[in-house]
Amino acid sequence: MTAYLNQVRIIVWRDLTVELRSRERIAAMGGFAVLVAVLIYYAIDLTIVRPRDVAAGLIWMTILFSGMLGFGRAFAMDLEQDQLQGILLSPISRGAFYLGKTIANFALLTAVEALVFTVFGGFFNLSYGGTAWLIVAVVVATAGVAGLGTLLGAIAVHTRPSDSILPLLAFPLLIPLVIHAVMATGRLMAGRPPAEVGGNLRMLAAFAILFLAAGTVLFRYVVEE
Amino acid sequence: MRKKGLSFSLAIAFVLVATSLLMAQGAGDISQLARQNLRPYWHVFIAYILVWLILFGWVVSIARRLGRIERGLQGSGPPSGR
Amino acid sequence: MQLTGLRRTGVLLAIPGIALVLLLHWQVFFWVPTEVTMGVIQRIYYVHVPSAWVAFMAFGIVAACSAAYLWLGDERLDMAAVSAAEGGVLFTTIVLLTGPLWARTAWGTWWTWEPRLTSTLLLWFIYVGYLLLRGATDSPQRGKRFAAVLGILGILDIPLIHLSVTWFRSLHPQAVVMRPEGPQADPSMVITLLTGLAAFTLLFFAIMTYRYALERLTVERSTAFAGTPAPSVAGGGA
Repeated sequence: MTAYLNQVRIIVWRDLTVELRSRERIAAMGGFAVLVAVLIYYAIDLTIVRPRDVAAGLIWMTILFSGMLGFGRAFAMDLEQDQLQGILLSPISRGAFYLGKTIANFALLTAVEALVFTVFGGFFNLSYGGTAWLIVAVVVATAGVAGLGTLLGAIAVHTRPSDSILPLLAFPLLIPLVIHAVMATGRLMAGRPPAEVGGNLRMLAAFAILFLAAGTVLFRYVVEE
Repeated sequence: MRKKGLSFSLAIAFVLVATSLLMAQGAGDISQLARQNLRPYWHVFIAYILVWLILFGWVVSIARRLGRIERGLQGSGPPSGR
Repeated sequence: MQLTGLRRTGVLLAIPGIALVLLLHWQVFFWVPTEVTMGVIQRIYYVHVPSAWVAFMAFGIVAACSAAYLWLGDERLDMAAVSAAEGGVLFTTIVLLTGPLWARTAWGTWWTWEPRLTSTLLLWFIYVGYLLLRGATDSPQRGKRFAAVLGILGILDIPLIHLSVTWFRSLHPQAVVMRPEGPQADPSMVITLLTGLAAFTLLFFAIMTYRYALERLTVERSTAFAGTPAPSVAGGGA
């Protein structure tokens, strides 16, 4: 068990170090997210729509699109630098590899989310009520998105239309998760009591568990030669 | 080739019978209930036609792909005794 | 050669299937009484529900065969999975086309974000992705494995998709969804529906067998061109 966790830690550490050094993905995802926020600011007429009413949905759309951008690259960088083969030949188990990648992706997406919430808060003058539960909802939803995104990212990197196929595969599976993420985020932001989103949080947890479990089991078939 | 001919004739037969049944019934309904709103009748009619077009299309598409492969096997394929 | 056996199986399934389809048409257009509240449009039900049933069954077959394929590596399981997936997508297309035709009269709108509609649409996208993925890789083996993973993910996601979308639009009146098995339904309606279910199931398996024969021939041809005596297919039979 400790050996397994060590393997996971090695992958997480490696991925985050690579990312901190190159800042390739975080720059792309963060820049993309801020630009989407600017686009949205001009796409909705603030004299007709109260931004608070639609903010949760727009925030999650931004997160999802930047996530797709980052997850697609997660394995592409390894593949381009011929490091994927090395990791697969090393004694690191496939499950640990997947979990490590997922945690690294999760950390990356969480950083982007912090940026997204800050930027949207500033641009649209939003106030975030119920912060503790809001963080719980976002973290659980992000775990699900990262779990599925990592598995499908590993698939997409080996396909010819690698960048365009990832959202096509991921969105139908992610839409139900997004429904709950948006409901929970929106209600908590509006200052409703956390009890009201208990069901959404449970569903988000169910998605996270499902995607992480399926990913851990199925990942070995994805990276197999 | 016999496979293709058989499947084609089967497919054509069932579509012909199905559509002719539909047409006979559709015409009867229309004459009887001409004063009523005919839209539901048209929708039922279209729905059944769509069903058979899609199923027929699937069969035809499989037949075409099979035909292409069989031609390939006879023409340029290696003699494998098939 | 086994393709002859496959063809015979397909025809054996198709003959009763087509007979039942003809019976279904007679029942739907001449025999079954018109439903009281909904009128003639309810007759779409007799192809809509069987299509939905076949689609779900097909996706179940895809998932089962995909899981078994990843486990055992037998090529025939993958051939069955892709044949079922193609049928599943087509029958889901039928569901998605006949549904709005019915809804336009019954609900007064082509499309609503009703739970069943939404989950069917998402299912359609998932399995179209399955078919796309197979052709999107340079190595066919990889495409098959990727597709199998997606096929399994799809079926695992179905219960959660359905729960989620039901939650989102829980205000929808459930009464509009007819239940012919309910107490008020005329027995002839139930019989017609059962005919439809049997006819569509048989037709699905007949065409799926045909599609399976095509997949088998395709694989055999590609291995023949590669100069190897179809090791995966032969090995799978051992």
